[in-house]
Amino acid sequence: MNNKQAPLVEMRGIKKNFGRVQALKGVDFHVGYNEIVGLLGDNGAGKSTLIKILVGYHQPDEGEIYLEGKRVRFTSPWDSRALGIETVYQDLALVNLMPLWRNFFLGREVKKKVGPFTFIDRRKMRHTALEVLKDVGISLRSPDETVAFMSGGERQAVAIARAIHFGAKLLILDEPTAALSVGETRKVLEHIEEAREKGISVIFITHNIYHVYEVADRLVLLERGEKIGEYAKSEVTPEKVMDIIAAAAGVV
Amino acid sequence: MNDSSTKTYKIPWPLKLRELGAVVGTMAFFVFFSIISEQFLSIANLGATFTMAAELGLVTTGITMLMISGEFDLSVGSVFAVVPMVMAIMINHGANEILALIVAMLVGIGTGLVNALVTLKTFIPSFITTLGMKMFWRGILLAVTGGFPIILSHKSKVLNALGGPLGGGLRYSAVWFIVIAFIFWFILERTAYGNWTFATGGNLGAARALGIPTNRVKVINFVISSMLAGFAGLTTFGRFKIVDPTLGQELELEAIAAAVIGGALLTGGYGSILGSFIGAVMIGMVRSGLVLAGAPGYWYRAFIGVILIVAAIINTRIRKKVAG
Repeated sequence: MNNKQAPLVEMRGIKKNFGRVQALKGVDFHVGYNEIVGLLGDNGAGKSTLIKILVGYHQPDEGEIYLEGKRVRFTSPWDSRALGIETVYQDLALVNLMPLWRNFFLGREVKKKVGPFTFIDRRKMRHTALEVLKDVGISLRSPDETVAFMSGGERQAVAIARAIHFGAKLLILDEPTAALSVGETRKVLEHIEEAREKGISVIFITHNIYHVYEVADRLVLLERGEKIGEYAKSEVTPEKVMDIIAAAAGVV
Repeated sequence: MNDSSTKTYKIPWPLKLRELGAVVGTMAFFVFFSIISEQFLSIANLGATFTMAAELGLVTTGITMLMISGEFDLSVGSVFAVVPMVMAIMINHGANEILALIVAMLVGIGTGLVNALVTLKTFIPSFITTLGMKMFWRGILLAVTGGFPIILSHKSKVLNALGGPLGGGLRYSAVWFIVIAFIFWFILERTAYGNWTFATGGNLGAARALGIPTNRVKVINFVISSMLAGFAGLTTFGRFKIVDPTLGQELELEAIAAAVIGGALLTGGYGSILGSFIGAVMIGMVRSGLVLAGAPGYWYRAFIGVILIVAAIINTRIRKKVAG
């Protein structure tokens, strides 16, 4: 744990049902300051549901969420973004058909006022998008390129850079390395560590312990809607984590 | 690919122009019709052509906004007739012109709202919702009028300002078209709302995850589509001073064709108001050009059908180059 009194984010007793399916059966979860938490579990364990509740995409049936010690109720991802929680979903990070600069500022457009009219400051947005990406090692000739041709790793990098640029306190990454090559995975892990160096906490959702083990400070294991384990990295080996998950899933 | 992060993407600049297909096609038809008909280049014909393009183009402008946000509107042709019908009946019964205009437009706006709410609340495709709406209004039109046209009983200044003559074959509708197309070009390209419209149609999940109010975006675009269709109907009414209950039949297909010629995708997320503008001009030109060339009216539909398919093929290729 860290030395501040309240963690950055705390979720208490979160329950969620979808029809008759109990997706979450009372989960406690927290993230400290400057901490990278690996959220692990098999498919259908409830990882995504937990995160979607945290950001306001879904509402919990029961349970409370605290941000920096204060109770929060998010009714949409818009609310959580406004308070510094940025999420990068595997397939929902960027809009392929849109130019890079439009993607980068989506929902956070830079505005300019001329008389009674408010419109977007294209020049500033183009320029900023290009600069910020240069910082993370992606150089594009023009911010007008659509993002469709970017590799999976570059797309993740863009989304992470966007979150950092907008001053996120907490960055949530949903399977950021799932479809990446070894080289690209390495790069994404570097971006994650850069984010922590800038004082941002990270939740790294994955079902592959080997991807998250290297960067994580703490590992939280979910299975069938319940928390089955929580370990500081020093307490476990990747093999041990695999065994715990496999045992809980009934695969021995 | 180890060093993928430093590669640049080279796309020749004309291919980046969403409107490329429409521009080239329109120029080709312009040259073609100028050669086969001497009258084509007359001021009167160009004015009349642009006026016709304007009435279609107003509808296309609205439908383009909606298509980019990932929804569809087949009811625009019926709304195009219902709105002027409401106004005609009210004026003929002695109602105030301005009041009649407001009520008529409210019917258009209300139709858009119903299209939106039914589509978004029941999760049925807008293709079905608006197909139903199209048939509903057409049926009402025929029932109320008994199939006969309604003729305006006295002159109306309001209607004159909507679709009256300006000189040289041009009508006020041409001015309205330019102004309204510019406004929506501005909204789409230069405001945050435009950004949200592209994102809503381009990747609904991503837009939602970033907190974009995608449902609100769609509702607004449904209303824009119906509102502009009704307004376009009023400009046509201002030209003819008569509303036929079959007015605007199959107009929805022409409007969608114009939008597709202009680069819009049926799947959403891509399109341009400028392209739709040019698409509407192209269709207007083909219509008047064929008449001047002495081709029977049926040829027009056949022609537009071929153009539509060719345009869609060209656009798909361009898009693959630009956006994978």
